[in-house]
Amino acid sequence: MAWFAAQERRPAAFQRAAWRAWAEGRNGLIHAPTGTGKTLAAAGGPLIDAALRPQMGLQLIWITPLRSLATDTAQHLTAAVEAMGLPWRVLRRTGDSGSAERAKLRRGACELLVTTPESLALLLSYPDARERFAHLRGIVVDEWHELIGNKRGTLLQLGLARLHRWLPGLRTWGLSATLGNLDEALHALAGDGVLIGGSSRKKTHIDTALPEGGERFPWAGHLGLSQLPRVLDAVLAAKTSLVFANTRSQAELWHEALASVWPRPPETLALHHGSIDPKLRLATEEGLRLGTLRCVVATSSLDLGVDFSSVEQVLQVGSPKSIARLLQRAGRSGHQPGMPSRILCVPTHLLELAEIAAARRALAEDHLEPRRPMRGCLDVLAQHLLTMALGGGFTADDAYEEITSSLAYAQLPRERFDAVLAYLRTGGTALASYPEYQKLVETDGRFHVDSGRIARMHRLSIGTITSDGSLQVRYMKGARLGTVEESFLSRLRPGDRFLFAGRNLELVRIRDMTAYVRAAPNRRGGVPRWMGGKLPLSGELSDELRRTLAEGAPHSAEMRTLGPLLAIQRGRSAVPAVDETLCERTRTREGDYLFVFPFAGRLAHEGLAAVLAYRLARIHPGDYGYAVNDYGLTITAAHMPSLDAGSMRQLLHPAHLRTDILASVNLTELARRQFREIARVAGLVFNGYPAAGKTLRQLQVSSGLLFDVLRRHDPTHPLLWQAEREVLDQQLDYTRLRACLLRVARSRLLWREPKRLSPLAFPLWVERLRGGIATDDWKSRVERMRATLEADADA
Amino acid sequence: MMTRDIVVAGERLTLHAQRAAYWVARRTLLVSDVHFGKGAVFRRAGIAVPSGDTDDDLARLDALIAEFSPERLVVLGDLVHGAATERSAWVERVRAWRRSHAGVDVSLIAGNHDRHFDVRSLGIEVVPDRVDVAPFVLSHHPHPQAAGYTLAGHVHPGVVVRDGWRKHRLPAFVFDRDVGMLPAFGTLTGLYEVAAAPGREIIAVTPAGLVMVGEHRR
Repeated sequence: MAWFAAQERRPAAFQRAAWRAWAEGRNGLIHAPTGTGKTLAAAGGPLIDAALRPQMGLQLIWITPLRSLATDTAQHLTAAVEAMGLPWRVLRRTGDSGSAERAKLRRGACELLVTTPESLALLLSYPDARERFAHLRGIVVDEWHELIGNKRGTLLQLGLARLHRWLPGLRTWGLSATLGNLDEALHALAGDGVLIGGSSRKKTHIDTALPEGGERFPWAGHLGLSQLPRVLDAVLAAKTSLVFANTRSQAELWHEALASVWPRPPETLALHHGSIDPKLRLATEEGLRLGTLRCVVATSSLDLGVDFSSVEQVLQVGSPKSIARLLQRAGRSGHQPGMPSRILCVPTHLLELAEIAAARRALAEDHLEPRRPMRGCLDVLAQHLLTMALGGGFTADDAYEEITSSLAYAQLPRERFDAVLAYLRTGGTALASYPEYQKLVETDGRFHVDSGRIARMHRLSIGTITSDGSLQVRYMKGARLGTVEESFLSRLRPGDRFLFAGRNLELVRIRDMTAYVRAAPNRRGGVPRWMGGKLPLSGELSDELRRTLAEGAPHSAEMRTLGPLLAIQRGRSAVPAVDETLCERTRTREGDYLFVFPFAGRLAHEGLAAVLAYRLARIHPGDYGYAVNDYGLTITAAHMPSLDAGSMRQLLHPAHLRTDILASVNLTELARRQFREIARVAGLVFNGYPAAGKTLRQLQVSSGLLFDVLRRHDPTHPLLWQAEREVLDQQLDYTRLRACLLRVARSRLLWREPKRLSPLAFPLWVERLRGGIATDDWKSRVERMRATLEADADA
Repeated sequence: MMTRDIVVAGERLTLHAQRAAYWVARRTLLVSDVHFGKGAVFRRAGIAVPSGDTDDDLARLDALIAEFSPERLVVLGDLVHGAATERSAWVERVRAWRRSHAGVDVSLIAGNHDRHFDVRSLGIEVVPDRVDVAPFVLSHHPHPQAAGYTLAGHVHPGVVVRDGWRKHRLPAFVFDRDVGMLPAFGTLTGLYEVAAAPGREIIAVTPAGLVMVGEHRR
């Protein structure tokens, strides 16, 4: 190929294999590390094909998950197209494309389109969609691993099903990082295609910033700022470093701490996270590309994206919580061929040392996490059906057949499909008497939309990424800084200060969904917290962690450092073996505490804590609060019933788990929170026209309110069903919870009653209580509130 | 305990957990921020909200009228949420409801939302801004007035009550030194959290009755 001749490189075996498969008309998934020529492996097939059989009109769609990647990818592909001497026009179409680019696209003036899943869905919503894609030969999905596990991936699967229906010969290819379930990833994207692996993985070195002998290192905590001197030394020793934190708040605080001791020009240190304004983020990325930055503190917002060759070193503050994420972050460094990736882990408390040791072992054995595709999301289905209705219309039978051809909806029962269709036609059973509010209209069995306003509102709402409840933050002078959740800002009063985007800010006023701020000389106030901050420890890492702790052998520096702590744990209680489950009970001045350590991740523990509290309340009525972390859970009460290994075994029994969890978790409350996103995706609430300002104010309705009304008047509404299911599957990780209880049931139960809190129990004891079970109704609650509140008021 | 008597400006008010207040001496039932037709406004904009909100609110008013047998009902503003036509289903229901209580004098202190629809066509008297009925000034906006103690709506006051490890977000009655605020009556209304303050009396509304929150500490 001319391209390789120009680059003086020879195509690798996996690239040739991909090109051959494309020429044979097959679909496939290519997995290889970044920087090994994945892009060319996927682009080569269609480019060679185009050189052999030239044709005009849209030939190839390239899907990328990030808008910021689109520019870079488009440049890269343009270079390849030009090297091949093809007369192809390459166009980029994302949410930030200008009207000129959009108009070009409407005229069909390109052969290669680089776009996002959302923009593809938007293209499918125009009446001439089918003609526009008439010459399409193939579609390539870049970074499929970033999409497969979420609703964006579901939306894309539906879009692909649409295209395949129109173009049976269309070739679908994906590019992915290594996953624990590559076969499933292939199947979800490309059916029975071929799986093509790249060259063997680059070596990854995991180092740990170890506390020095005699240094007091905390048993709990998540910030890890005591490690600041070690982090600063490491950062100053390398040319450019990325410092990854797990949450945006943690990134803000680490950036602030580093800035306070930063010995170099301040502009060489930057902060990057998903709530910071895209322009500022872009400036930071540009700084990395040019090598002008020495250090960037980032969250997962920099996990993927273009490669920065200047990055010499990656640091990870706190446990990475997943092996795949550790690998991905490590891969952001050492882009020179033959250089290994290096990552320096900075534990925030002692027990994280064991997680780091476990991650290294898992990596050595190639145990990576799978990313499971989501199934049967009714909100995404509702959105897509409206898209189909706009993009040419459909009949119910055809649409059902098309949708169930995707993996995401392969098992969707027809009744559920019909319920979603009914919702789109009438709003659900409660609205059946309002013909004027139909979104879909049926004529001779075909569904379409005949209201221009519904069409406009839908096109503005396409996508599954919600930024609900966020306010813009900008200076009085006008420059935008990013977005912060309303729940944080609504607690502030004008004049209050907070830290955001690496700056000390003072709130001036909130108007029209915008918080106006000015620079403040210092910080007195807090740091915003964003929802969904903490990720649970992955199943693979949890399993490895249990093995690592149980062996306890000094096979690594981390475990040697952890030795004294494990000795205390053993002295006060026990360190569980792999086939053991540890339960502890300790009485403190604050109350009676029960601890259980299943090591199943915080989500599963949250569901288990609710079930345990519920089962305890059945034995002994009372008010039980609980807290969880990734290792276990604690339940606290003023008085706990008497317990032993036998009764614990019964309390942890997997029988009736589903019934008990439905009865115990405040499912309604959790579902109400989950409903926010669902209502937005399914078009039940509308975020407003981009520049409409106040005129739509009276339409703003809280999704919580809608949820309550729907529950009362239309309890079988498909979107309520979706909300409850997402709570069980995602918020409570039901599958993992059940697997965990089955394992506990087979394991030996260790019952200990330490006089003092054990090192494993201590972090749970300092956690904030997350919820609880009270065997009471509103009447007794009111009695109790009266007793406490009114006594306070009288005092 | 669905009701609770309190003394405001020397007058006895019976607060009701259905988010209404009854002025005993004047046999006057007070409600605020009903927002009739809010569901319809959403539905017209293509946002699916189930119907039934109007029927619910009217049934609650029926129950309150049966309980207190008031001579008059005064709505402290925002009876109606947005523009509507004579054909709107809720308009017909409210009109029928009004006819069924012909013996009760119903009036509305016009609120910011009421300019969208003329409720006089429903047989409801409209007072433009405020009405002085000593010792009270009945108004939509909670501004202190020289003429007397203001009873008002507009704010949709609510309060977060801590209950052990739980938090409940509840509508509330709020009484300050010069101004008292009623919770929003309508089913489809949101809440604005009010903070505790010295001298401020807060009574939270729960499904099982009223709870005095008092001058709770933060």
